[in-house]
Amino acid sequence: MNYRFSLILISLLIFISCDKEDIEKDTDPFDRSEMLNNYANNIIIPAFNDLDNGISELKLSVELFIGDVNEVNLVSLQEKWKEVYRLWQYTNAYNFGPAGAEGLSRGLSEEIATFPVSSTKIENALSSPSFNDFNRDTRGFLTIEYLIFDIDGINDNIINAFSSQERKDYLLGVVNNIESRVDLVVSGWSGNYLNDFLSNNGTDAGSSVSLLYNEFVKSFEAVKNIKIELPLGKRPGQVQIEPHLVEAYYSGISLDVLGVQLESIENLWYGKNKEGVKGLGFIDYLNSVEGGEELVASTIDQWGKVKLAFNAISKTIPLSNQIENSPELIEPLRVELQKHTRFFKSDMSSRLGISITFSSGDGD
Amino acid sequence: MKEKLQAFLNTSISAAPLISFRLIFGALMVFSTIRFMYLGWIEEHYFEPLFHFKYWGFEWVEPLSLVGLYFVHFLMIISALGVMFCSGVLFRIATILLFLTFTYTELIDLTYYLNHYYFVSLICFLLIFSPSDISPFKIISEQKVKRSTILILKIQITILYFYAGIAKINYDWLIEALPLKIWLPAHDNIPLIGSIFSWEFTPYLFSWIGMLFDTFIILFLINKKTRLWAYIAVIVFHTLNGLLFQIGVFPLVMIGIVPIFFSDKWHERFIHFILPINRKKKFITKKTNNGLVNIIFTFFLVFQIVFPWRYLLYSGDLFWTEEGYRFSWRVMLMEKAGTAFFYVKDTKTGREGIVNNSEFLNRHQEKQMAMQPDMILQYAHFLADYYAEKGVYQPEVRAEVYVTLNARPSKLLIDPSVNLVEESDSFKEKSWIKDY
Repeated sequence: MNYRFSLILISLLIFISCDKEDIEKDTDPFDRSEMLNNYANNIIIPAFNDLDNGISELKLSVELFIGDVNEVNLVSLQEKWKEVYRLWQYTNAYNFGPAGAEGLSRGLSEEIATFPVSSTKIENALSSPSFNDFNRDTRGFLTIEYLIFDIDGINDNIINAFSSQERKDYLLGVVNNIESRVDLVVSGWSGNYLNDFLSNNGTDAGSSVSLLYNEFVKSFEAVKNIKIELPLGKRPGQVQIEPHLVEAYYSGISLDVLGVQLESIENLWYGKNKEGVKGLGFIDYLNSVEGGEELVASTIDQWGKVKLAFNAISKTIPLSNQIENSPELIEPLRVELQKHTRFFKSDMSSRLGISITFSSGDGD
Repeated sequence: MKEKLQAFLNTSISAAPLISFRLIFGALMVFSTIRFMYLGWIEEHYFEPLFHFKYWGFEWVEPLSLVGLYFVHFLMIISALGVMFCSGVLFRIATILLFLTFTYTELIDLTYYLNHYYFVSLICFLLIFSPSDISPFKIISEQKVKRSTILILKIQITILYFYAGIAKINYDWLIEALPLKIWLPAHDNIPLIGSIFSWEFTPYLFSWIGMLFDTFIILFLINKKTRLWAYIAVIVFHTLNGLLFQIGVFPLVMIGIVPIFFSDKWHERFIHFILPINRKKKFITKKTNNGLVNIIFTFFLVFQIVFPWRYLLYSGDLFWTEEGYRFSWRVMLMEKAGTAFFYVKDTKTGREGIVNNSEFLNRHQEKQMAMQPDMILQYAHFLADYYAEKGVYQPEVRAEVYVTLNARPSKLLIDPSVNLVEESDSFKEKSWIKDY
């Protein structure tokens, strides 16, 4: 009896002694729903829509080219490809939901943007194309690139190769496959998924914040781990540089799209869309939590160094050439990206309390 | 004095609490094993990874084939059922099998170490020595056991709560309300009560209540007058934890086994309630000598009481170095995360490469590894072996690991110049961990 009364008494005392205002005095809790809304409606969906439109235009360019194989149509197709591949960089961080892995399908990035592609496999596949099997290095954007860009820049080589009807059919097949996959993603986001995404506003594994965050980190890590380190031959098993492993090897726009991806990652963190219009983003979320402001400052500081290092690299020479001739010029960017990783990876998820896996007991 | 103790431990008391404990615990084991299989965690934890982190001294434990692993889990379910319903030799076999199968799966990979898995292993171990001459199918009120058989379980539960409570007596937890200050706002979307989680006040309140609850709750459960309120508090506390944190079936396990502190009469009614059958035959209780078992229990308890204090033998901040952290009931005590980069050098060419961890570890493994020095060391040795096979000459491995603890700016955890291949894991202090 006595115990019970004292417990109740103590609780009452605690509550009475605190002003209601005191208790609630904290800043307004961060509105994760509002942030998700900004990401979905101002950033993700428009990016996928832009990509979808771009792919339609790309397809038209393809059809025009295979209808009349000449220099003019090829160049126009090549320019359109570059344009659309840049658009892709704005969407490659969202491999969840409609763009996520499902059954035997991997995420969208793997299905339509795997690189390096296998030239031997592609050439062998021309006679019996299949765009839905496990040979992801025989389809997607970078397969189109292989087909329409000559590594030495000699368009005549491409034009000659396209006298083959098989080749024309294959090219059309690849772009159709990309189109149907992206169409699915767009319709997914304009359908039920948007509501699911917005309503799932926790931080546990499988929540929208957790999914978005995980993919954001993966996209960022891919820049250093895949797009820079592999061509530079930085893995312990590699014994030399391997320039052909860069992204967009045949067209030579590797640095161009790398810059777009970095911009896209930066925008994601800020909560900005392509046009630079800012809404609620991870930066605001971080600023609202314990230890967050300090992390924001460190992040912005280090990211500045990443950008400096990127800007210091010449944009007139293709990345593969630079890696071949002067890899030490690319190393500073690699170093700054590595220094940056903890700010986006462990520091951020730790401050925000985001669960990154379903398995029980983070922290137990 | 010794005779008094012996007499006390050997007193015949009602077996009802033990019978219902075995029913509840067995049922929870069945449920949690089925859940584990359903979630696909056999594949994800034991089968898919390229590399498993080992427990010190148990490096020889390897995962079976997928079929073998599933077989082990089915065996676990059957043994749990045996613990619930069997008696005699079958019961003994069931408890031994349950302990072996469960502990085996836990030993496969250190990544998934959780204090409550450790607890379950311990309970399974203690049940091996539980009397086999009782049954839920015979008349309950006439079944007796020696007091020590129930007392040992109560003491183990008390150790868990008490140590978890005093572990919370630290600066970050009580004065800074960390890590609750991070975790509560992250869950402010929980219906009804979620909105109070973002008040500045709440993490402090919950931190103090949590510490007081864990440290003292057993006292209130022992006392008959406060028992009901204490159990309500237990339900509230664990349910809240279950909503807030991804801790699986642990809340259910604690809610389910704490009733061992209830009265004999309560247990008799409980057993009759869940197994409303006609009980006629009385079970013939064997006369057993509990001498050996009591000695085992004594060593067990001494170990349980002393082992959590081993961290005192190491210098450095416990949360940072984690030397002596596991197996000491430090439950949900800190928010810690790290990012680790490993460099593997070919000592003939001098070429140093950087590892992509995702080639070897799943996300959970990578996360746990990056903040625990003994796992960093294991992984470094694995990398050296792996790349040696790939042709890297007598590799040297060093690691750059940045770790954040309780919302503080991340810092280097270990000396990034040390060749980890030359270090070995032991109970000796690790000199290559940097100061906090």
